[in-house]
Formats: sequence, C-alpha cells, structure tokens
Amino acid sequence: MTEIVASNPEVREFKSYPPKPRKLTGSSIAILVFLTMCAAFVAIPLYVIIVTSLKDMAQIRFGDIFSLPEVWTLEPWRVAWDEVCSGVTCEGVKIGFFNSIMILIPSLILSIGLSAVTGYALALWNVKWAGTFLFILFTAAFVPFQIIMIPLIIMSGIIKVYGTVWGVAIVHAVLAMPLLTLIFRNYYKDIPSEIMNAAIMDSGSFWKIFGEIILPMSGNIMIVVLILQITSIWNDFLIGLTFGGIGTKPMTVILANSVITSRGEVTYNVDMAAALLTAIPPLLIYFVLGKFFVQGITAGAIKG
Amino acid sequence: MNKHVLAGISTAVLMAATPLSAQSAEIFAYHSWSADSEINALNVLISALEEKGHTWSEIAIPHESESNIGLINLITGGNPPNVFIESSPGLYRDLERMGMAQPVTDYFSENGITDNLPEAVLQSITIDGEIMKVPTALHIDGMIYYNMDVAEAAGVDPASWTSLEDMWADQQKVEDAGYTFMAMGGNTFQAGYLFHALVAAMAGPDIYYRMYGEEPDPTVFDEPALTEVIEMHRRITSQAGDGSINRSWADTTNTVITGEALMHLHGDWMKGQWRAAGKVPGEDFGCINIPGTQALSVTVDSFGILGGVSDEMLQAELDFAGIVVDPEINAAFAAQKGSSPVRSDAPTDAMDQCNTVVLNGLETIGGVQNPFNISDGDWHMSIWNALFEYQSDPSMESSEVIDMLRDEYDAIFG
Repeated sequence: MTEIVASNPEVREFKSYPPKPRKLTGSSIAILVFLTMCAAFVAIPLYVIIVTSLKDMAQIRFGDIFSLPEVWTLEPWRVAWDEVCSGVTCEGVKIGFFNSIMILIPSLILSIGLSAVTGYALALWNVKWAGTFLFILFTAAFVPFQIIMIPLIIMSGIIKVYGTVWGVAIVHAVLAMPLLTLIFRNYYKDIPSEIMNAAIMDSGSFWKIFGEIILPMSGNIMIVVLILQITSIWNDFLIGLTFGGIGTKPMTVILANSVITSRGEVTYNVDMAAALLTAIPPLLIYFVLGKFFVQGITAGAIKG
Repeated sequence: MNKHVLAGISTAVLMAATPLSAQSAEIFAYHSWSADSEINALNVLISALEEKGHTWSEIAIPHESESNIGLINLITGGNPPNVFIESSPGLYRDLERMGMAQPVTDYFSENGITDNLPEAVLQSITIDGEIMKVPTALHIDGMIYYNMDVAEAAGVDPASWTSLEDMWADQQKVEDAGYTFMAMGGNTFQAGYLFHALVAAMAGPDIYYRMYGEEPDPTVFDEPALTEVIEMHRRITSQAGDGSINRSWADTTNTVITGEALMHLHGDWMKGQWRAAGKVPGEDFGCINIPGTQALSVTVDSFGILGGVSDEMLQAELDFAGIVVDPEINAAFAAQKGSSPVRSDAPTDAMDQCNTVVLNGLETIGGVQNPFNISDGDWHMSIWNALFEYQSDPSMESSEVIDMLRDEYDAIFG
C-alpha cells in the first residue's frame, strides 16, 4: 500500500508499507487454476518443440514426444540455421533472417512514417473531409487481405514492384495504415490546442511543427507502434509469400519451405529448431521493449 | 556434401553426352519440392541444364493444398515462371486461353519420347489431346511397404498375398506375435488417397473413372463394388490405434520403421521416410502392390512449360523438357527422389526392388490417373472430406457415405 504525503504542495512523498498477506479464497484458487491451465496451453507445446529440437531422429521416430532427449544434440539447430533447404538453396533459415531484416526496415519506415503524418494531419489540422476520410480508413481496417490480394498483385505488377522487397514493404505499409493512423490520430488529438496555436504562430509550417514539436512528443506511442509493426511484419507469412520474389522471401516463408512437405521425408528436430529460430526475434523485442509498450499504451500525449 | 558429389557425377556424365545449346537463357522455375530427396533429385536436372549453358532461378513454395495459389499469383503479377510443377488440367486450359500454354506433343513425337512412356503416364500428361506436361516423377498412390524383420518374426510373407483375403488371413498371426497388423494415420490426405487407391484396386478402372472422371457418372453410387470399397476403407482405417488422430503419413510410416507395426498402405513416397532412416529396400523393407489389385493409381509429378515466349527462351524450355525425360537423367532423378522413372526404357541398374514392383505392375496390371489430374477440384475434396468423416465416426454406415457423396455430387454438378 502507498500513501501520498503532501506536507508541502510542491513536494509529494510516497510512503511504502509492506503488502498485506493474502488469504486463499475459492475465487483466487479458481483464478490460479485457470491461469495455470492457460500457461500450460502454451508451455506444454513449447516444451515439446524445445525437446524435439534437441533429440536425434532415431529417438523421434518412436513417437514419445514428451520424453527428454536420450542424446542431447545441437546439430538440428546448426542444420536449421546453416543447411536446411528452401528449394535448391540449402543455406538454412539464416537467408530468411537477413531477408526479413531487409523487408522490415523499409516496411517500418514507410508504414510508421505515412501513418504518423496522416494521424497528425487528421488530429491537429483542419483537413477538409477529415471525418469522411477517417471513416473510410476505419472501414478499410476490416477488409480481409485475402479479398484484395489479387488486385494488389496486379497493381504492384503495374508499378513494377511485384516480387521485390519494395513490393512487400509497400503492401505492409498500406495494410497497416488504417490501424496505425487511428492510433496516431487518437494520440495526437489529446495535444492541447494551445501548443498547436503557439507553434503555428511561431512558424506556421506543417512539416516544421511535425518534426520539431510533435515527433519529440511521440516517444511512447512510437514504441507501441514499433512493437506492433515489428511483430506483425516479422511474423507475416502471406504477404511475404505473395509479394516476395526470388531471394526476397522472409524468414517465415523460408521456414515453411523447409518444413512443409506433402510427400517428402520429415525431420522434426530440424523443423522445430528452425521454428524456434524464426520465433526468437519478436520474442526478444517483447522482452526488451515490453515495459515501454505498457507505458506507451497508458500514457497520454502531453506526457510525451 | 552428398548433394555436391551427386551434382558432380551428373555433370561429368552429361558433359560427354550433351552438346551446348546455341543460346543460353535463365530458366525461371516454380515448384513445390522441399525434402532433401526432392532437392537432390532436382539438382540432377539443374546440373544437366547448366551443362547446356542455361541457368536456373526458382521460387519454391511447398504446399499441401490442391490450389496452386503461388503459381497463380506469379502469373497474375506478370511474372510467370518458364517451367512449373502443376497437375490440374484447369490451369493449362486457362493458360491456353491467355496464349501462355505450350504443348510438347510435337517435340516428344520428334524425339521418340512418346513411344517410351507408359500409357498411364501418357494419359496423365495429356490435356484435350495435346501433351501439355513434361512427366518427371512417377509414384503409385497405394502400395504396401512392410517391415521385413517384423514379417519374419510374425512368420508371414506379404509378397505371397494374392488377394486382400490372403492379407487379412494373416492378421491374427501378426497380432499374436505382438505387432500392430497395419499402421494407419488420421487426416483427409491419407483417407482420400487410401480411398481412391482402393477404388482402383478393388473396383477397377471403369468404376474408378466413373467416380473420378472430369464429369462423374452418378450411377456409380449404385455399384455394389463401391460399397465394398467403402467397407474395406473402414476395415483398414479401424486398424488405427492410439495416437492415430491427425497423425501424418510420415509418423505412421515411422511406426512400421521402428517395428511397432507390420505394414503401411499408402503412396510409395513412403520410401523417402525409410531411406532417411537408413533402411534399404529389399533388405530392411519390402514393397508390394495392393494384393489382387485391378489397377494402380498413378501420380505423375510433371512440369508445365510457358508459351508465348521468345524463340530463344522456348528453346531453353524445350532443352529442359528434353533433360527431364532423358532416360538416363530420369533414372538418376528417380533414384534420388525415391520415385520410379517415367520412361519404360530407363536403365534398370539404379532401380531398387520397389521400382521393379511399380514398373512390372504398370506393365502387367496397368494404371489409372491420380484424381488431381482428372477430377473437378471441389468434387475431389468432397470425396476426401466424406471419407475422412467416415473414418472419424465409427458409427457411420457405408450407405451414409454414399448419400453424402450423392448430395455433394448434386451440389457441384447438379
């Protein structure tokens, strides 16, 4: 428990007390059981994936998926990173790792840049038809990608970006715009009008205000959007599969290429290691930036 | 390491045999292969192609669906591949309408290829009277692969079975010896493949084509033989024990490899799983056709080639087609992939016991085409779903499956 002590209105002090011991009640036991089941729902398959990636195939063939490795080996991890084939290119999922980085950077710049400016304009400038535009944008957020996939392929073919990193990046940016614009717009609309009025009187420039005042106030929301976008772009399969060309397939597609087979032999240990390698980057992002994600979601614009 | 050695050997063989083409070109390929055996086999073709002065670039999208969305996207996006793995006749007809189809009928005829293709292969690659596909790998959709140690321990000889009755007669003996008689997995892919392999084997080509033809004949549902096939499907799938729910064919074959079960009835691509476990055909495992089979259901993995291209590119595409069906190269390809050669005059020295069973079977029994080559996609998938539902629900009667198929037929073709 904390108590705010305000002997002087300018200086506030927080006094801490030890937490009150909690009693186990029926409802708290039920909550614990439910949460344990939720955790097990993810943890058990994860355990199977990890131990399988450390076994050899001779043991895996016997089908006891929960047993610990009889011979612990990191060989599947080495094969997955270095040797696994995607088509005739047998250079491991590391090829996809670098492709994903190449896709991620322009996709982030395009999607966040476009959405931040659009959100800023809609929130703080007197844009004609802003309400209608926002409504259309909001509606677009609910259109499934699969419905517009073929027209997008034709359009990207016409502008000669189909099968390139830029094709993937542009599609990511376009598809992310509705949600990200709404996030930025809602964040910026809380900025007091006094700040904007003073800024307009000072310089009056749309871009100068954005660059020198709005962007420095956007740290929290940028972290939120970065995490959302990095996770979404890194984990994307369908856009990378559809719009990526020769040598530009992201890590998820390389993973699928090495794992999926309808009639070929299966090496589960290598498949599991490749899946874990592909999942590590977004997990790391969450571990490193997770704290800021919560702060960003709960913070208002003027705290930026 | 192994792949490089093989590529080197292929290169050396081909250097002596193949003159360089006048023009070199980059062949852009689309395929769905991913397993080591498939990639090793593909490298045999690529080495030969490079010996002709051409280069290879590719997009590989392995998938387990009937829809070849990746290929359609490439064509729609204005980046169609020069050669592509595709079985559905519908896509070739679409390409024809778009001026992008390229028959190889004349090329095959002029180069003496057509005469050396088994009838089942020829049927699979012909669409509306033209040879549109370059046959690459031949598989049989329903064979029995058995563990020879288990057979010996149980005192049975699957190679001696001449009918399914013979096979079932040995069931008790195998179970008494402590083994599962027949391994069985649990998903639509296996249920569907088992069914059409049984239709070919038990009901014969006439009923098979009435069931799986481009326009199915609804009177086939009244055939008692179809009911017998459905009931045999039940008898086989009821062998599935604990852990079979949603079990893949590869995991199911593993139960035979590890000596838990005697045999597995599935497509002959099971061989890849055996070989990956270091097992040798004829020594560790044996292969037989479905006992008493009336026809073998044949899968022919084939490349289509793109039309409407420049003369130089067309020559490169035809060079590739010639490589794929070259008897020596096709035999080397089959040895790597675990398939059988598509040509009847392919050299036999690299063939194993299973290849011999396949080619002898095609010659003496004959084959029917895999439904992917002939059936309407919706109809084919409906059959898969009906049979998987039948497998999953032990209380379901064969008559209910027939009713379900009738309803699906009416919905699709009615």
